[in-house]
Amino acid sequence: MSASEQTAQALPARAPASKTLKQLLHVPLTMAVFALVVASLANSFWLSAATSTVALSLSVAGLAILYGQLGLVSLCQFALVGVGGWVTLRIGHAFHPPFEVSMLAGGIVASFVGLVFGIPALRLRGLYLALVTLMLAGAFQIVISAWGFPDGGPGFLGRADGSGRAMLPRPDLADGAVAYFLYVCAVTGIGLLVAQWHKLSRPGRAWTLIRKGETVAVASGVDVLTYKAWAFALSGFLAGIAGALLAGNVGQLDGRAFGAFESLNLFALAIVGGVFNWYGALIAGLLLRAIPALLTDLGMDGYMTIGIFGVALFHALATAPSGIAGQIAALASRLRRAAGREQ
Amino acid sequence: MIVIEDVMVQFGGVRPINGLTATLTAPVAGLIGPNGAGKTTLLNVLSGFVTPVRGNVMLGGQPLLAMTPLQRVRHGLRRSFQTEQVVEDLTVRGNLKAIADHVVAAPDRHEAIDEALTFVGLGALGDRLGQSLNLFERRLVELGKCIIGKPKLILLDEPAAGLTEEEGNTLRELILRVPAEFGAQVLVIDHDVELIRAMCKETIVLDYGKLLAIGPTGTVLAHPDVRRAYLGEL
Ligand SMILES: Nc1ncnc2c1ncn2[C@@H]1O[C@H](COP(=O)(O)OP(=O)(O)OP(=O)(O)O)[C@@H](O)[C@H]1O
Ligand SMILES: [Mg+2]
Repeated sequence: MSASEQTAQALPARAPASKTLKQLLHVPLTMAVFALVVASLANSFWLSAATSTVALSLSVAGLAILYGQLGLVSLCQFALVGVGGWVTLRIGHAFHPPFEVSMLAGGIVASFVGLVFGIPALRLRGLYLALVTLMLAGAFQIVISAWGFPDGGPGFLGRADGSGRAMLPRPDLADGAVAYFLYVCAVTGIGLLVAQWHKLSRPGRAWTLIRKGETVAVASGVDVLTYKAWAFALSGFLAGIAGALLAGNVGQLDGRAFGAFESLNLFALAIVGGVFNWYGALIAGLLLRAIPALLTDLGMDGYMTIGIFGVALFHALATAPSGIAGQIAALASRLRRAAGREQ
Repeated sequence: MIVIEDVMVQFGGVRPINGLTATLTAPVAGLIGPNGAGKTTLLNVLSGFVTPVRGNVMLGGQPLLAMTPLQRVRHGLRRSFQTEQVVEDLTVRGNLKAIADHVVAAPDRHEAIDEALTFVGLGALGDRLGQSLNLFERRLVELGKCIIGKPKLILLDEPAAGLTEEEGNTLRELILRVPAEFGAQVLVIDHDVELIRAMCKETIVLDYGKLLAIGPTGTVLAHPDVRRAYLGEL
């Protein structure tokens, strides 16, 4: 065999773009199957829980970018969900545009706030960054409890002073519970696809280099500031859209639901679900909403979830740092290899 | 050609480089010196991660110190680090792509990556994850990253550290081919004097921030000061 033949064999001609495409295809396919199964089986209680599950998984996908890709701990993600929901309601009640417009506004404003919340990450990492972002989440909690959520009253603040609150109408094409669930699945599917595309292409590679070390990233030609900022903006955008979808689910939001503890909880469950595989976000969403719903359904105290989550987090940190999704992925590749051997 | 003029680096009270003046012209030049001599610091000055308090550096007639580290990479400066820095959860190809993304125009990226893979002999491992590579394969990936995107100067910080003699020889053969095939000058730090002797036409010896000797490798290694300071001879 000549040298050139060897090279030709060593470098099989393939189009790498189509491989990325195939990997991306997993996202809409999985989401479609998940949506159809849930929509055909769930009663109204479970449908509502499933809707928040899916919406929240979008905010987890944002966290997974920051932690899984860049290695940055952000403990204020749920505050950004709150910002997105807040803006969506505000725009919706004030101008009555189509739901999609309010939703995009929520995503964009949350993206800017996320960018601002990301400023400490230019200097800090690890524990210090975690503390600073947790304090930001606490500050947000104070602001919303002092200011209140726009819960459907008149005026800029939108406070309903006992005069009855207006509900934010759902999108025109998805008014019913099942339709709205499918709508949320579709929007989330697109969001997860966008996140996964980032992971598999140029920004994802730059992010992993930054995680490896900023000097290494710079030496590879990465503009560290831009790529970090982009990660925070994207993560905030996804959180904001999640907030909008939550707002659309019941037509209003309770400001008390956006405390600092929720951000902490979201981060913990993102780890348990798995930040290195895209479906880890969906698993985290399920843990966050489906487990409490299950306990309520069984007549048990919802607070038990905190204990369960604590144990799950400990388990993940001790034995499975890539989370449940990582374990599923490892199992799948073992099965594939076993199947390959049998042939 | 690298021209270093009166460069001084100061960290608090320490001067790891103290008034260094040297000109390196060989296609593959060596940089040696005892531990803590300031070798890595000099590489950091050249790549821009350490700013000297005084002095001047020219690369191919262009002043280097005025450029940011990123501008230097775009200008054709490449480096590897003393500890290998392959990204575990990217494939070999992904690791190469990660730099090609920023220094090669989009239509040529695929070809540049294939060329680098073939050059370092990792064509068959393109889809393997970084975490599954052994040290030798990781060092090859790092060399592969350095030759992507028309490099002008490649700085290698102990590229053969921890490798077996055979692996070191393979790496040496590859490094020797770089100037002719990719048009880049190479500056290599290594503790293995025999490797330096076999690879570098020209060598510079640092000793606690000072220039101890510079010139053709054979002459430099025979220099009594070098033998005393570096090879531990009396
Ligand atoms: N960022 C820094 N801050 C303070 N001192 C430093 C810094 N970087 C290096 N030094 C000091 O500068 C001196 C030279 O270090 P350098 O890493 O350049 O040595 P070296 O020749 O590469 O050694 P080795 O062979 O061990 O890699 C050492 O005394 C080191 O402690
Ligand atoms: Mg060193």
